[in-house]
Amino acid sequence: MSKIAQHGVSRRRLAKHVLAAAALAPAARLLVSGAAAQSAEIKLGFNGDLAASPSAQSGQAAVLGIQTALEDLNGQGGLLGRRLTLVIRDDLSQPPKSIQNMSDLIDNEKVVTVFGPTNSGNALAWRHIPNQKRVPVINPISSATDITRPASANADNYMFRVSMVDRAQVVALMAYVKKSPNARRVGFLSETTGYGQGGLRDMQEVATAQGIAPVANEKFGVNDTDMTSQLQKLRAAEVDTAVVWAQGTPIGQVLRSMDKIGYFPTLISCWAADNQSFFNAAGQQLAERTIFLRTISEDRTPRQQQFLDRVQSRLPTASAFSFAVHGYDAAMLLAMAVRQAGSTDGPKLREALETLGTPHEGILKTYDRPFSRTDHEALEAEDLRWTRWRDGRLVAYADEVTRSLQPGDFKG
Amino acid sequence: MATLLQVLASGLAIGGIYALIALSFSITFTTTKTLNFGQGELIGIGAFLGATVLFALFGGTGSFEAMPSEASAGFNYPLAATAVGVAIGAIGILLFLVAVRPFAGKPGMSWVMSTIGFGIILQSLALAVWGPAPVNLPSPLGDDVIRVLGAGVRPQEILVLAAAVVIMLGLDLVMRRSRLGKAMRAVAFSPPVASLMGINVTAVMLGAFALSGALAGIGGLLVAPIAQASLFVGMGIALKGFSGAIVGGLDNPRGCIFGGFALGLLEAGVALWQAQWREIVVFALIILVLSVRPNGLFGARSLDKV
Repeated sequence: MSKIAQHGVSRRRLAKHVLAAAALAPAARLLVSGAAAQSAEIKLGFNGDLAASPSAQSGQAAVLGIQTALEDLNGQGGLLGRRLTLVIRDDLSQPPKSIQNMSDLIDNEKVVTVFGPTNSGNALAWRHIPNQKRVPVINPISSATDITRPASANADNYMFRVSMVDRAQVVALMAYVKKSPNARRVGFLSETTGYGQGGLRDMQEVATAQGIAPVANEKFGVNDTDMTSQLQKLRAAEVDTAVVWAQGTPIGQVLRSMDKIGYFPTLISCWAADNQSFFNAAGQQLAERTIFLRTISEDRTPRQQQFLDRVQSRLPTASAFSFAVHGYDAAMLLAMAVRQAGSTDGPKLREALETLGTPHEGILKTYDRPFSRTDHEALEAEDLRWTRWRDGRLVAYADEVTRSLQPGDFKG
Repeated sequence: MATLLQVLASGLAIGGIYALIALSFSITFTTTKTLNFGQGELIGIGAFLGATVLFALFGGTGSFEAMPSEASAGFNYPLAATAVGVAIGAIGILLFLVAVRPFAGKPGMSWVMSTIGFGIILQSLALAVWGPAPVNLPSPLGDDVIRVLGAGVRPQEILVLAAAVVIMLGLDLVMRRSRLGKAMRAVAFSPPVASLMGINVTAVMLGAFALSGALAGIGGLLVAPIAQASLFVGMGIALKGFSGAIVGGLDNPRGCIFGGFALGLLEAGVALWQAQWREIVVFALIILVLSVRPNGLFGARSLDKV
């Protein structure tokens, strides 16, 4: 249902944008020629959803973080003696628009790096473009595992990420399941979207790698309001621990359906449960019944607290803070790469990112060689923090199992 | 037993909404032979408008995204429903005047595109006003699970079902017993003849679009405490409502109601087997029904003379 409906929307919206683009083309050309006069600036780009889907708030927060970093960098005199500016393009969460933005940013605006996008699907739709045009992309938001996978084994890869990685998350969740003495019969629940099914594939592969055999595997639609049928099957299979991979609102609906049939296995969720929309859908009591991983702990370091105080009033929602942090750290890592390369040339920037020499004390953590030629993920399973809701706020979570997890447990 | 009862409860609750929306399609189709393909947007906007009214009645303090349950208490929710019915009904009239009337009766399918376009304009405006985040709307009857013979239902699901049944029975009575209903059926039968009989055809058509819009808006407000108010969920509900109407027979209001409920029950039932097959089963069945009975299960057989 949603697929058909969304398809309809995108086609109609596309027509609208094509018309709008045609009308604006002469104006855009004027802007470009005007911009050429100020070539002393280093232009960075953001391409991602800022208005059209529920994830838009994550995009807004990331832009806030990047802009804050640029403020700081420009305050110190910019990079290579040049000021930094951010060119922002909203892709309205639509792949065609996102692809078009990418070409616009690289070819017309001549940005040296692109941040984004908000939605994993859009990153997968255009990741060949930065690789062909040799312009680095640092993703501060979307988490699909494949985004940073190189086109072929030894190809130069221009896709980097400072954000949650689904695979790393699944590895940590499964390590918890494996170590928990109460998890004897495990069930999977997933949403039928690309996000849900990508996560399910990761869950199945990592479960196999860690020797976990799920006894149930149920799916539901992203707009479903009643998952009682699926949960009854989990109950019939005597599942005591359920791992759910879905967006915030449907995870909330899973808990509400559990409440309906009075069946509460241990519920472990993907990080979408940190979203305010999850909390609102589940309600305060039910929201406390799941644990999940975030990139930033609620036990904030002084540096994190300072940053929060600085951006809090402009955050679209409190739970989007992590994206502001990712955006800030990503921009700072790029600044280091520009200094190290002494240039804004794409291939040199990529090489510099892959070989960043000095450790960088970021907001999230200290980045010591965050990237290499083969590893383009700044955050790993060990960097993730267990979290839950308590009295309407996100708080750090710990139990015997989380405390006992060692780096060696993160397999897959 | 409890399992089947749960399926029945879940299916009837969502089926009630589908039936209401199916009916809203039927009302404009029978009187004007046109439909509003932007009905889904009216559902979403109805939900947000209702949320805004509740928020204002409550005093406008605290978080709009997560209103406390007191916001829906007492007369607030019925008041909001009335306001939504009137406002979305007015939008329905505007839709008819702007996007349907100029094209109705002319060859081609311009009204399909114009109603879709009207919906997109509305949705974009709504996004500008309310933003993309979903909003939680408290149920007027609280949120505690009620247990019946082992199956759990929420008060709002019962309210949805009850409201849908009452609205549909009321409309059925009006259509069959009152002069207004007779006028509507006369217009549906033949606008020129109805006009000769002294019936104000334009007024009846305006009324049909107002009623259709009001149903969609109220449907949105009813479903919001279950699904959250979101500008994106209306589309899916409208598609299912439309499917229900097609299965039941677009020109038969009772058939549409049956189709809506049948679809809801079928969805809940299939999920008990393999949830990811739900859409496939539902739409395959619709195609099957249509291939056997092209005008729906209860639709009148119509012959287009060429």
